[in-house]
Amino acid sequence: MRIIGLKTTLFEHTLSRTMGDANSPKGRNKAGGCLIEISTDEGITGISMGGAGAIPQINLLYENILKGSDPRNVTGLWKKMVERFFKGGHDGIANDAISVLDVALWDLKSKYYEEPLWKTLGGNSEKVNVYASDIALPISDDQIYKWYSDMSTKFGFNAGKLKVGLDQDSDLKRLQLMYDALKLSGKEPILYVDSNEYWSPKQTIRKVSEMEERFTLGWIEEPARRWDFLGLKKVSNSLKTPVCAGENLDTLGDFLPYFHHRSADIIQVSHGMTGITGALQIADAAYALELPVTLGGSPGIIHAHLANAIPNCITVEVPHPEPESMVFSTDVKITNGFAKVGNKPGLGIEINYDELSKSKVGSVSVKSGPSPYGRRQGAGLYEVPPSKDEIKEARTK
Amino acid sequence: MKITDFRVEKYQQIMDRPLGDSNGPSGDDLINSSILWINTDEGISGQAPMGNDYVENLFQLIEGKDPREIFTHWKNMIDFVFKAGDEGEAHGALSAIDIALWDLKSKIYGEPLWKTLGSDDPKCKIYASDIGYNLSDQELFDFFDGMAEKGVDSGKVKIGISTEDDVRRIGVVHEALSKASKRPKIMVDSNEYWSVKYAIQTISKIEEKFDIFWAEEPVRRWDYKGLRLVSENIKAAVSTGENLNNVGDFYSLISNQAADILNVSTYQSGVTGLKQISNIAYAFELPVTTMNCIGNYNAQIASAIPNHVMMEVVDPGREQAYSKWNDNIEDGFLHLDDTPGLGLIVDENKLKKLQSAKINRKAKAPWGRRKGAGLYIKGFAKGEVKWK
Repeated sequence: MRIIGLKTTLFEHTLSRTMGDANSPKGRNKAGGCLIEISTDEGITGISMGGAGAIPQINLLYENILKGSDPRNVTGLWKKMVERFFKGGHDGIANDAISVLDVALWDLKSKYYEEPLWKTLGGNSEKVNVYASDIALPISDDQIYKWYSDMSTKFGFNAGKLKVGLDQDSDLKRLQLMYDALKLSGKEPILYVDSNEYWSPKQTIRKVSEMEERFTLGWIEEPARRWDFLGLKKVSNSLKTPVCAGENLDTLGDFLPYFHHRSADIIQVSHGMTGITGALQIADAAYALELPVTLGGSPGIIHAHLANAIPNCITVEVPHPEPESMVFSTDVKITNGFAKVGNKPGLGIEINYDELSKSKVGSVSVKSGPSPYGRRQGAGLYEVPPSKDEIKEARTK
Repeated sequence: MKITDFRVEKYQQIMDRPLGDSNGPSGDDLINSSILWINTDEGISGQAPMGNDYVENLFQLIEGKDPREIFTHWKNMIDFVFKAGDEGEAHGALSAIDIALWDLKSKIYGEPLWKTLGSDDPKCKIYASDIGYNLSDQELFDFFDGMAEKGVDSGKVKIGISTEDDVRRIGVVHEALSKASKRPKIMVDSNEYWSVKYAIQTISKIEEKFDIFWAEEPVRRWDYKGLRLVSENIKAAVSTGENLNNVGDFYSLISNQAADILNVSTYQSGVTGLKQISNIAYAFELPVTTMNCIGNYNAQIASAIPNHVMMEVVDPGREQAYSKWNDNIEDGFLHLDDTPGLGLIVDENKLKKLQSAKINRKAKAPWGRRKGAGLYIKGFAKGEVKWK
């Protein structure tokens, strides 16, 4: 099997809730993506989504490395892609390009074997632990309660992750709302919190200690800057709650200080870290160090394919139990609070080309990216609660 | 596709030359071997060039299952042996089953293992390894010279009992390999026979005359502080790990930066275990080397490992039950072909012949630990090695 073509299509869609975190209380109501399609001489097409800002790098890797190659050789192709970006580093946009192409190669590999990705990876179809993730600091308390109630009653979630960081009283109140909503599942809720690097280590220690007086937390996510391996460790040493970190790291090498210093108790892993190949490497490294991992959000919850193929996965993040966009469907279903993988070949993602042509855009706007406003004022120094204008803007979206 | 049954065949083979190290310098040319078959309802079967009686205890975990779900089987086996640990006979069986399952998975896909594992370059750099403390200087030269003819520019020599002789023999290896490179890579292996300080003294003496790429197992496998101390006091890299069983055993080495190169093999909980260890090594910027094995199938895996240096090749003639194995060495690399699976084809007739041969002696390997190890050096007994 040889790779003969690459197609990239940018698309945007509207979100069913206004999303945002401590760095973006104004929120966003759009999401964008890039559909990657790699075609082969066998008539099989590998697909992947992401890398909307990395199209030049995607094309460069395709022209120089992937064109004419056998996609089954994904590990070797991965290394060639990583080393292509040696001097500037294979992080940032280069990482976006490598990641999205690596995922498409894995999709092709499994499709060639006529089996789902979880089987190619040696996993199984047993149910996978998942948690509902609002990523919706901008929405109102009522909406938070309603969203988690829906997750709990319609999909069976008993675990959820709340975006926190700008207003401690509000965060405490919302934790209770999330707890009450998840209790509707009939199971004891598991509560995670995420401050997205908005706090300094000591801010985190003060705030999470106060939360711990009332709640048992499953983890506190990104409680200090991503590179602050000593700060993260200090937070962990001072709290009962495990520290979960790594989401904004790009490569295996980025994790080295965490591993040397045991900075985090739980390592965040995703296909956005140099692809599925990279994600599996990071999970193995964490396993050797007795560190569990958690898999982040992924289009069509494709991470569910990986969960049973790595030895140390706790749970998988689910911001959307069903695709928000009509552009694609997924073979991963959420029922009774677990993810279940299906038997469609590859990632099990199918594209609706009518919808794609309707959602197609010339360029994806900054406002539909995951962090439309950059880092928020006061981050790591003092908290700046959402202003009246920001709240107004968020609620009218 | 479902796993239906298994078979383990044991046999002995007399190799072309005796193998021995500092713990058994006299060596032995007889080795115990076995082959494990895992069969499926579709007629395809996977093999591993090892296997023992404990396989039966683990087989219940995979019987009736889809062989392609290898990681699941590996995890179930690892969890099954939890209490007593992934050690001893259970460990051997677990490794063998995992290897046979990978062979099977690739065969189901109709492709070689290197492709299933995603390699984009089906070859791996190799080094010649005598494991022949009993070989005369001439025999030693001839072995490395033969490898140098095939472009091999790196060699590992067994040492440990007599520094004066060891230095001379390193010179012999260096001379033979000089045919392939102006600066051949020389590695030394004392198989845990030395104490920490003795290792530092001896390797330093050797380094006065030779540039050594790595010193293997200079001290005990678990002595992570000792290994680190050796590394801090010699120029050569410290390589170790071949006698560890799994990723957990490597934890102390890695977190204490005890070794510079990790030596990995499928005997470390199968292909799955080997991959895990090479991934943690990759995360810690540690290169890995792969051990020698029957039929050189480790090359299949090595070719897909991003941080692999070279694979050990001994080739003492242990493939007597096979009609095909990975033997294409050219330009210093082992080149793999498209034979599905591990690249090994068992010849049942040859196997039957080996099994019916009357050998009437017991294999001496694996060697026990030699007297004096870690304490003092017990010199060669008279006639223990033919060249002394």
